Amino acid sequence: MSFRKRNIGLSLGVDRAAIPTASEKPAPESPGIRPSPDDGRPTTSTGTPSLDGLLAGHAGLPMGKTLLVEENGTTDFAGALLRYYAAEGVVQEHKVHVVGVPEQWGRSLPGLIGTAESVEGKRSDKRKDERMKIAWRYERLGEFGAGVAGSRNVPAAGNQDPAAPQAPAFCHAFDLTKRLAHPSITNMSFVPLAPSKESPFISVLNRLQTEIASSASHTIHRIVIPSLLNPTMYPPDTCQPEHLLQFLHSLKALMNAYTTRVTTMITLPLALFPRSSGLVRWMELLSDGVIELCPFPHSADALTTSGAATSQEEPPQGMLKVHRLPVLHERGGGSDQNLGQDWAFILSRRRFEIKPFSLPPAEGDTEAQDASAPSGMPKKSDLEF
Amino acid sequence: MPSQPALPPLLAPYLSSLPHTSLTLVSSILGATSNWLVLRFLHAALSTSSNQHAASELEDVRTDEKRKVVFVSFMRSFEFWKSEAKRLGLDLARLADKEQFAFIDGLSDLFYTPQVSSSSASAASPAGRGNSTPRTTLPLRSQPGPLPGRSLQSPAIASGGSGLAPRSQTELGVAKKLHFSGRGTAALDALESDIVSVMQQLKPSAEDGDELLLIVDQPDLLLATTGPSLGIGATEMAEWVAGLQQHAHATILTMAADSPLIHNVSVSRAGGHMPAPIETEHAGFAIGLAHRARSVMQLRTLETGVARDVSGVLRISAGGGWIAGKDENPEKEVLYYIQRDGGVRVFGRGES
Repeated sequence: MSFRKRNIGLSLGVDRAAIPTASEKPAPESPGIRPSPDDGRPTTSTGTPSLDGLLAGHAGLPMGKTLLVEENGTTDFAGALLRYYAAEGVVQEHKVHVVGVPEQWGRSLPGLIGTAESVEGKRSDKRKDERMKIAWRYERLGEFGAGVAGSRNVPAAGNQDPAAPQAPAFCHAFDLTKRLAHPSITNMSFVPLAPSKESPFISVLNRLQTEIASSASHTIHRIVIPSLLNPTMYPPDTCQPEHLLQFLHSLKALMNAYTTRVTTMITLPLALFPRSSGLVRWMELLSDGVIELCPFPHSADALTTSGAATSQEEPPQGMLKVHRLPVLHERGGGSDQNLGQDWAFILSRRRFEIKPFSLPPAEGDTEAQDASAPSGMPKKSDLEF
Repeated sequence: MPSQPALPPLLAPYLSSLPHTSLTLVSSILGATSNWLVLRFLHAALSTSSNQHAASELEDVRTDEKRKVVFVSFMRSFEFWKSEAKRLGLDLARLADKEQFAFIDGLSDLFYTPQVSSSSASAASPAGRGNSTPRTTLPLRSQPGPLPGRSLQSPAIASGGSGLAPRSQTELGVAKKLHFSGRGTAALDALESDIVSVMQQLKPSAEDGDELLLIVDQPDLLLATTGPSLGIGATEMAEWVAGLQQHAHATILTMAADSPLIHNVSVSRAGGHMPAPIETEHAGFAIGLAHRARSVMQLRTLETGVARDVSGVLRISAGGGWIAGKDENPEKEVLYYIQRDGGVRVFGRGES
């Protein structure tokens, strides 16, 4: 029983793959699209391998879905995620539409280092030598602590074996300190907000609609909406529910009309629009996936250093909460193995990593640990009466 | 795990015997959506073969009489409902053909009708009433690729035939697309008459004893996206629902009941800051409906966190419209688990 509940994609991808693949198989020539190991629907990468792995076993963001990334405080970790997402789109030669920000935003995309696999491979090679062999039969379930990565590597290996050698890269690695130089970066389109008597979003919708409708039928689109409702970019009346929610609803309709060709990622600063407000809750209800970033405050440096399980690991910079996952919650939700976890995120120069959060044993508290160890496992003599 | 019956036995009596003029309210939250339950309602009403054994446990077997369903969805496309219903063995497109089912699309064109470029406008307008225009432009533009190699008459066939074939498949079963225009009760009345006209279309073919079930998926979206500034509030929405209810045998509504949308009103009053109109109106609408409903089915996540084998909690309780003595189904709280293949297991606490 305990084996079955693991929900490893390897055994599950087979029986149900037949239904969706028949109807919504992606055009084979589309770069950066691959079928989900879970049910075969087309997915695309968010540009962050560990975020891809978090999305309910699909190993990517399913096409036609919206991901809302909320962030507490004044930091811009969500912006980094969004830049990875946009940069991945540029590298895959998708059409990237950026809403509400000037073109400088596009110049700050992180530079390409290589494919995610090659970068990840180097890291795990290094780690392989020092890894302790605990139980070899769990080895193929993925590295402990890299549970996210494990869930996407296993099905990928199972499903794509024949095509694996020449398969184009699904996800790339980027360096935040470099600037992206790619021929198709000029292809990004920046959609400004035009003030109007009615909703300021109407012009945005018009432009997105015409650009998507007039593009070739195999073009993949990414809609990027950085810090929605940020008062420095958005006029005050955009916060009116009738404007904002109508826009999000129409965006949802647009994505449903082109369900295999468009994905959207939105970031939302929570400092001004708390999750406890009805407006934000409706924004979440209108999104397919909702994750919340809670960066640790600076004064918590003591906690963050001890938050790393070992001294080699980088300390986490914040917690990540998953509130809703695409497809999974649409069906009813709640059975994903990644859902109940506490996640921590680390943003370094070269990657944004999401991994399970665990508090380390209290340092310097060796007596307590020694004392608790024998009491945890009662001796045989204690059990006999 | 063995595959589950489409209708969980514990829920079957609640799903299939809906008395005349009853209102059932299904409330959901962000982490526990109601789509699976709506699909079970659809299955209970429309399936003739597979739920016979489930229904035969009830004293009155009503599967021989035909039921009809009009389904209005404001949040999801017909594509989604069709593919999810297929997992339960329900072919909504075929049922729509047989005039047992009608889908009303409240998503595609509700607020924003895509503007048609001048070239495709002429092609789209004769194509039919209320169809979304972007899909017509797509096949037309991609078609010319493979065509030149063929004979001369093939372009006409291809653009007329294969250009429309995928469209008619996706559009099949969508009886109407709602479009919101104007403001206040006039705009709501227009939507109401659109929905009622579809209900009337199903009715004439109904023989005696047929039941018309109306399912409205998240009418609260309409309230959230309009609000008092457009002259629509909880009262207007409640009247709108009552107007629709008159034409149906039984009505099922789903709505969001997240705590910011329900509890902010009472909490803020104590805390001293004003609740936003979107919150007060939503709470008013939801609570008002709960008072009118015969039964309220609440979906929520576990209070104690996330479990691997529990998706959420379903609480079935009597609403304000409950008639004691006449209704025999007891109140109940059960756990449910959505399997990855779409099957649902429903069980009591402590059972498995």
